[in-house]
Amino acid sequence: MRRVLPLAAALLVAATPVLADEAVTVPVQGRDAFSRPLPALDPVRRAAFHAGRSLFQQVWTVGPSEVRPDLDGLGPLFNRQSCIACHAKNGRGEPPEGESDSMRSTLVRLSVPGSGVGMAPQPHPVYGDQFNPDGIPGVPGEGRATLVWSERIDRLADGTPVALRRPDLRLGNLGYGPLGPEVMTSVRMAPPLVGLGLLEAVPEADLLALADPDDRDGDGVRGRVNLVWDAARGAYAIGRFGLKANQPSLRQQNAGAFDGDLGLTSTLFPQHGCTAAQTACRAAAGEGPGEDAGDDARPELSDEQLDLVTLYTRALAVPARRNADDPLVRVGEGLFAAIGCAACHTPTLRTGPSAALPELAGRTIHPFTDLLLHDMGEGLADGRPDFQATGRQWRTPPLWGLGLTAAVTDRPTYLHDGRARTPLEAILWHGGEAEPAREAVRRMPSLNRKALLAFLDSL
Amino acid sequence: MLPLSRRIAAPLLGSILMFGSGAGWALEDRVVVMTSYPDELVQRYEQAFERANPGTDLQVVWKPSRDAAVELAKPDQGGVDVYWTPSLGSFPRLRDAGAFRPLAVDRAVLPGVVDGQFVSDRQGFFEAFEVAGYGMIINPAALARDRLPQPATWRDLAATRWTGRLALPIAGQVGFSGALYDILLQAEGWEAGWALLGEAAADATLVGSGGQVSESVVNGEADVAVTVDFFARSAIANGHPVALVYPPRTAFLPAQVAIARAAPHPDAARAFVDFVLSAPGQALLFHPDIRRYPVRPDVYAQAPAGTVNPFQRIGAEPYAYDMEMGLNRHGLIAALFDTLIAARQDRLKTLWGAIHAAEAALAAQSTAQSTTNPDPERTALVGRARMLAGFVPVAGADVDRLAPMFQDRRSNRNPEEQAAMRKDWSARIDAAHAEALELARRALPTP
Repeated sequence: MRRVLPLAAALLVAATPVLADEAVTVPVQGRDAFSRPLPALDPVRRAAFHAGRSLFQQVWTVGPSEVRPDLDGLGPLFNRQSCIACHAKNGRGEPPEGESDSMRSTLVRLSVPGSGVGMAPQPHPVYGDQFNPDGIPGVPGEGRATLVWSERIDRLADGTPVALRRPDLRLGNLGYGPLGPEVMTSVRMAPPLVGLGLLEAVPEADLLALADPDDRDGDGVRGRVNLVWDAARGAYAIGRFGLKANQPSLRQQNAGAFDGDLGLTSTLFPQHGCTAAQTACRAAAGEGPGEDAGDDARPELSDEQLDLVTLYTRALAVPARRNADDPLVRVGEGLFAAIGCAACHTPTLRTGPSAALPELAGRTIHPFTDLLLHDMGEGLADGRPDFQATGRQWRTPPLWGLGLTAAVTDRPTYLHDGRARTPLEAILWHGGEAEPAREAVRRMPSLNRKALLAFLDSL
Repeated sequence: MLPLSRRIAAPLLGSILMFGSGAGWALEDRVVVMTSYPDELVQRYEQAFERANPGTDLQVVWKPSRDAAVELAKPDQGGVDVYWTPSLGSFPRLRDAGAFRPLAVDRAVLPGVVDGQFVSDRQGFFEAFEVAGYGMIINPAALARDRLPQPATWRDLAATRWTGRLALPIAGQVGFSGALYDILLQAEGWEAGWALLGEAAADATLVGSGGQVSESVVNGEADVAVTVDFFARSAIANGHPVALVYPPRTAFLPAQVAIARAAPHPDAARAFVDFVLSAPGQALLFHPDIRRYPVRPDVYAQAPAGTVNPFQRIGAEPYAYDMEMGLNRHGLIAALFDTLIAARQDRLKTLWGAIHAAEAALAAQSTAQSTTNPDPERTALVGRARMLAGFVPVAGADVDRLAPMFQDRRSNRNPEEQAAMRKDWSARIDAAHAEALELARRALPTP
């Protein structure tokens, strides 16, 4: 112990590990670590979970289908043809490797200055609110999106070099003309899906209690909730899903992804996203010039299908921590709190009594997130507001399951656009409210840094 | 005179390059591939192909096989370049309809024969891309814990020790089960195979989703299930403590690839086919989320530890599975499974429970009296009951005649005729089962 951690200070911060409720965690470490149902799930809902998984893995088809009319309706414009295409193994996506590669599990949000419906970002007048590279036959895709990387060397206080790469978005072969100078873009890589039902079950009051938008406690951390449009309730609600907390519920998050990523309408989003300029798209969607298909049209994704997929995403269990009692990990856990990481990556939350699934209610959970928006500095800024999130703000991502990323994903990357190739790189990209914590890591003796990373690897 | 398809295709006939997709000229900017493969497989090929062929976008059109056939029957074939899918019956039908261009394949590299089975087109219009075998996924730890032997043969499935531990796919709902049950029926014989299935199914969990069959063993709901192998192999590769058992008499059946007659991007189409049949393309099949068997023997040198090599299978019995015969009867098998098993599982449970009870009583009596057949009369009753319980309303000799009526698993092309036939089956099954139950109960020793 002394050999590993020479600093008395480090020994002082060794923490008692936070360990999760066994009813909502699973002791798995393999490639399926993010794919198991909650152990507490009752048999009927377990069967529905499996049905939801089938839909999650299903490739949707261009209509009409004689054989599977329940699975047609892809497009007219789309990013991918299945949920799993972006959320492989329910883990993180992968950004393109460079110019010759394409976005597959990463997308680009688009907007122009101003506000749209419900204070949402104002969609681009021609391309809408999301860049859809592909179209069904007869509908031109919107173009090709990729990232080109430039690398610089950052140095820690002890001289250790760390290569950091920054993405440069390239949108080419534009199918509907130039995007124009006003366009704002945001690259979003698919995030991992474990524990989402638990996060949904945290009471709004608890999130509001964590928020400190005016930094009244003077710690420099100003978490705030995003206030977003709840389409089902027709009212504003606290956002908690999406990389900028721009969705209020898992059901809306899923319906939004079906709409934006696959082009499937639902009762929550009954209209296709074709803009007035996308005439072939509108024709394929059955929308004549200047008119909508109508709200009474049968949604391509039925409520039952949406509910099954939502149950699936709601009931994905969290992998249990590994090596939590390891002395090095315990020291790392203490350092994590001591240097301020835990100010945003809140270790412990509690779910409320009335969760969407009874199995989720009243659980003490350890997601390492406060689900709040924080200014992360210019380095991570996308410059694109999203409801009340500014161009510099991102929602604190949960860290549970972080240490299994490499087991689940072929090419593990981190942060909203996959720019970080290791957790240390991700830390070094932190800025804004997280700058003091980042600098503390930069200054750390290497053995302490090793302890911190060992702790992150245990999550 | 050449058939139309050959006349159209002949000028475009080119050799399938076996050394990657590096055509010596620029490919078209896209290739449209129609498939029903799951996205976990398609994604990896899309990514690998596009990286190997910068500038050529692989566009995937996902269609179930019957929708795909409609698309390929259109004059422009829906703009599709390549058809690449696991649908055994589709390729010969589409070839005969003139949907494909001929391929030239180097048989030194791609033998087209796996486990003694010809898996590619003898006429050269489509080529095997991968093969999958059929067997049993088991939970070795659960079986060891309860001191149960691992099943080794199809016949082992009928053992009473699996009560509540066995999962079977419902033939009418799970795509792979037509081939699976046909392999079993050809291996065991038509009548004996159905009797085996009925006995095994009596206390089994019937599962209506292909992936869920293996999943039932992975998550502990069952200890044994019959399945196509890639679900089990992928579960093993993903770290689940399950194992795969191939019965000695099984088969490895192909998925195939072909270039559409009207392919609008023929060079890119050929590059794609070359890629999926190349060594790197074939090696992708070893990925933990795919785990299907390559059709190139040379890539098995790269196989993960523990991979069975279907070209050199150990423990296999000589078994000439007739793939063509099987294809014709998948629909009939699904209909029979539905009528004989799925619709009557409760009654099968009662019936086979009575037979097993009578057999156990006779065995106990035999042990007590140290004689091999202490009660010939009751033994005969049980034997007769067993025979009637295994009754299948379509005799083996009639299968080929009736199979065309049920050709397509999902269609119902002769609804009235099929309904009348099912009604007749039901009546005869019920009569046989009623008599079997009566005999089994009579065979039980009087208390």
